[in-house]
Amino acid sequence: MMDLLHWDGTLSAKDFRIGAVAFAQKWESLNFAFPPWVWVPCPKHPWLASPELLQEEGYLSMEKICISRLNEEDIDQTTQIDTDEEEASCSGNKDVIDDATLVQRNHHELHYYDFHIVYSNTFRVPVLYLRAYCSDGQPLQLDEIEKELPTCSSKELSKSKWTFITQEEHPHLKRPWYKLHPCGTGEWMKLLFLNDTAQPKFEVVLELYLLSWFSVVGQVVGLRIPFKMLNDR
Amino acid sequence: MAAESPSSVRKVVVHLRATGDAPILKQAKFKILGADKFAKVIDFLRRQLHQDTLFLYVNSAFSPSPDELVIDLYNNFGFDGKLVVNYACSMAWG
Repeated sequence: MMDLLHWDGTLSAKDFRIGAVAFAQKWESLNFAFPPWVWVPCPKHPWLASPELLQEEGYLSMEKICISRLNEEDIDQTTQIDTDEEEASCSGNKDVIDDATLVQRNHHELHYYDFHIVYSNTFRVPVLYLRAYCSDGQPLQLDEIEKELPTCSSKELSKSKWTFITQEEHPHLKRPWYKLHPCGTGEWMKLLFLNDTAQPKFEVVLELYLLSWFSVVGQVVGLRIPFKMLNDR
Repeated sequence: MAAESPSSVRKVVVHLRATGDAPILKQAKFKILGADKFAKVIDFLRRQLHQDTLFLYVNSAFSPSPDELVIDLYNNFGFDGKLVVNYACSMAWG
């Protein structure tokens, strides 16, 4: 039994897999706005690893997510422009306006995001990897992604250029992905669980670990966890 | 007859609780409009503590998005007539 009072907020690779599976199950049953997270088994050295290790190596993946990054002011503005255009071009037309189409037309091109949650053996915490691309597969550079991030993230990015999001090799795919730096993760994960008046059991922490973790990292890319998921425990 | 006030004008008591080595506020409880975003709580705390890097979270082990409405947080995670928000002066990244 792990003593939570002296827990440093990190996980073993095995615990990561357990937590990841619990998170993916909860996400699938309670978050209908997004596709499921899929566990991708990914043995690094299949010829070296024991059967147990083979099972543990892997990451969570949610791909081809199209997120509207427009904040409220932008939406207001877009709608305003659209209405003007509608009036100018076809006054008297009382057809219902399809907002989705209009926003898309005004907003340049649609961008897709792939997210992977990968375990870091160095920091012993989950790490968010992401990449973004256009519909034709053309990858987006960080400065383009930055424009689509929530305001607090773009501020953080300009403040700490090398310690927030940087391009690195995906540990399993060996291709360049963007990565959210994990140095502080253990510290704030510990905080999230230690402040409870009643100390939860480690199994309970494990169940909720990735959900709590994602409530923080999701904010960076503008992904929110529905309250229903946070309440269901 | 007292009508239930609409959630937009309803005020919520927020209790800011320091954890770790974060400085304690002289006044830890304050009222905020339910229709305000959580970002307002974050900004308030930043100004009070003159600290830019704060980590805020509620007791159900999660960190609310700045876009979340205070009334929604209260309705889901409030108890004893208040919303308890913990804060720490820790760097989230780096």
